[in-house]
Amino acid sequence: MTLRPLTAIFLGMLLGAPASGQPMDEYEVKAAFLYNFARFVEWPTQSFQTRQDPIVVCVLGRNPFGNALQEVIRGKSIDGRAFVSRQVADAEEARACQILFVSASAGKHFRSLWGSLKPAGILTVGEAEGFASSGGVINFKLDSGRVRFEINLDAAEHAQLHISSKLLSLAEIVKTEKMP
Amino acid sequence: MAVNGRKFRRRLVLFLVALAGLPGWAQQPKNPDLSQASLEDLMNIEVTSVSRKEEKKSETGAAIFVITQEDIRRSGATNIPDLLRLAPGVDVARVDANRWAISIRGFNDLHADKVLVLIDGRSVYTPSFSGTFWDLVDVPLEDIERIEVIRGPGGTVWGANAVNGVINIITMSAVATQGGLISAGGGSQDHADALLQYGGQIGHNGDYRVFGKFFDIGNSVFPDGQQSADGWLTGHAGFRSDWTLSQQDTLTVQGDFLRTNESQTITTLFSNALPLTETFNDPIRATAANILARWNHTLSNGSEMSLQLYDDYSRRVEQGFLDAQNTVDLDFQHHIGWGPRNDVVWGLGSRVIASDYGNGYNFTIVPSHRLDLLLSAFLQDQVRLTHSLSLTVGSKFEHNDFTGNEFEPSAQLVWTPTGKQTVWMSAARAIREPSPLDDGLEDDAASVPLGASFGIIRITGNPQMKAEELRDFEVGYRALVSKRVSLDVTSFVSLYPNLESFVAQTAYLATQQGVPYVVLPEVFVNGDRAHTYGAEFSANWNVTDRWRISPGYTYFLMHLNGDSSGLITQPGASPNHQFQVRSLLDLPHHLNWDNTLGYVGKLVVGNIPAYARLDSRVGWRLGEFVELSVVGQNLLTPRHAEFLDATYPTDYTLVERSVFGKVTWRF
Repeated sequence: MTLRPLTAIFLGMLLGAPASGQPMDEYEVKAAFLYNFARFVEWPTQSFQTRQDPIVVCVLGRNPFGNALQEVIRGKSIDGRAFVSRQVADAEEARACQILFVSASAGKHFRSLWGSLKPAGILTVGEAEGFASSGGVINFKLDSGRVRFEINLDAAEHAQLHISSKLLSLAEIVKTEKMP
Repeated sequence: MAVNGRKFRRRLVLFLVALAGLPGWAQQPKNPDLSQASLEDLMNIEVTSVSRKEEKKSETGAAIFVITQEDIRRSGATNIPDLLRLAPGVDVARVDANRWAISIRGFNDLHADKVLVLIDGRSVYTPSFSGTFWDLVDVPLEDIERIEVIRGPGGTVWGANAVNGVINIITMSAVATQGGLISAGGGSQDHADALLQYGGQIGHNGDYRVFGKFFDIGNSVFPDGQQSADGWLTGHAGFRSDWTLSQQDTLTVQGDFLRTNESQTITTLFSNALPLTETFNDPIRATAANILARWNHTLSNGSEMSLQLYDDYSRRVEQGFLDAQNTVDLDFQHHIGWGPRNDVVWGLGSRVIASDYGNGYNFTIVPSHRLDLLLSAFLQDQVRLTHSLSLTVGSKFEHNDFTGNEFEPSAQLVWTPTGKQTVWMSAARAIREPSPLDDGLEDDAASVPLGASFGIIRITGNPQMKAEELRDFEVGYRALVSKRVSLDVTSFVSLYPNLESFVAQTAYLATQQGVPYVVLPEVFVNGDRAHTYGAEFSANWNVTDRWRISPGYTYFLMHLNGDSSGLITQPGASPNHQFQVRSLLDLPHHLNWDNTLGYVGKLVVGNIPAYARLDSRVGWRLGEFVELSVVGQNLLTPRHAEFLDATYPTDYTLVERSVFGKVTWRF
């Protein structure tokens, strides 16, 4: 018998058990977050050429998802736009992406991204300390084994992304810090 | 055992759940569809970063170096041998335009037989000669995810012939190569090099790429300045498809077809016209084809299984000798966590090789048709002794048609006192299994004048050959010194108690067209002993966010004690010192400027002087999809020699200063 996680969590809370019997893979959860972000972010119209253009989710650095990202986005669509995922080698290739996930393996190189990314229309998501405060839009953090995220509103505005208040209410808001 | 153990654990969980009065759902649905979960749900899920195999490499008890796709792109290299120069400890030497001698920790020659080379899990080590034909090791460089170079024995996992190292070429999933790719280049040595590739989707569950590539490499020159005829053409087509069959199952199916048209200048005898020795251009024709399928299954307890089947066919004609073989290989592996402390990998494999041999100008292999079977099993357990100390022990068990049963055990102790430092030590035994050539060679290798007549040195194989053995001891240290500096040092002592050598037999008289001559027979035996030791160092320094410097240094020494002329194993065939430093620099306006300076010490064999190489590349991105690059190779000297294989008739040529330009267009 399979249950939705929500039900499991609900029952789990009722019974005082941990949210789920076994912890889930970090990247299965992060992949689900990426899909969810797309539901709460509006891209500028020039991000897409046609109404049918898919939302391109890119991974920069070593892909930590395995197949988890494809699993999450397969068959999904938002406002008539399907999803595709793609591995990119550098900031230049990332120009065609709507969501750019910069994996931890890219290390601190993300700082060199901001200069080479075109400013508008890319939701940058990282998982390294200082990613959002240096100019990334969203940054994942782990807090007692749970995934949390930071949002940099200046970076979002710079990228001409509109982020819904729902997403903002769950995030930790950070500002762009000057580089030392 | 494993299956029963899992069943037992599942029963235990059910029992405990029942005790706790909870319904069965507490077992947790397997792989729930997280995309249906709300943000709040997601934030409440406890996650774990299961230490993936790749991440574990920083904690591995072996000397490993990884060449990444970025390293590949920025090296300016146009072939895989040149890429391997990036890895410290790999001894890469070009013999002529289409041949390389590549080895790790000594024993280098044209068919260096102690390094195992794999492409996506498929062995490209040629069993007939015990070595790799590097002219057939071709992969579109843009599709390589990484090349793992493991120095030292890998017999426990990879089996026979992974004696001094393993080179693992791993290509990207078809998911990562969607869209079109056209690359075209040309230059002074590599006249033309073109790749056309397209990647797309098949239905909802599959991704594919198909490619065709072609290259034309020009003639090189002999030391006397004469032009050789060693230029070559290769055509190569291939595909890879990756399928998601279910949440737990993925399938990869891939294949290649490759054909080359080459030539080499050789100096050789003719068995039917003894003692005639001639120098002439010998055509080489080779065809290689393979198809591979690999199924991966992940169980809900995190254990992983893979089943791989491939068929590899190759046919080569060189020195008049036909060497054709078809290999069918089946491999099963299971990786499972066993309790909180044990991480177990075990596997089973079988390989059937059907070979056909023809008659060369002066040699052949008997029998002319063979069918060889290799069966293997391995078990390796990583035991976490304390929080910072782990011990890995395991062994391969093999049965081959030449020497019967073989085993290749190893043990590695890894200590990670902090997250930033690793100290390891290892001991291992590995073997090189005898080849059909060792078993059944008949070779009129050389002639010597003998008064009015002549003598012929005739080398014959020996069916009693034992496997060459290595006993190896290593220590290593890896450290993340600061946020910007990491380093890796390895030191080893390797003992080889029974290396292959020749021993002279009683001379006898023979006649050719009525002319009597003396045959001086030599037969293969396990008569040489050697010990080697050395150290390898590599480091990475991110000077700034835009500039990386990577130095590497290798020291190597071999002592040979044996009862033969030492022609097979030659201590002077590998340099004592190799040094390299790479610089990768990101400039404004999407420019890269990348330089590699390398130094290789002198070789006693062939009296090859020490040389230095400088490769310099400038890459420029034009917009989103186009990249231009120009690379100058071997800029320091107009030409230099790298290797002479004294046991092989191929005449060596020089490596010249060259320039190569390339356009890559993705769409």
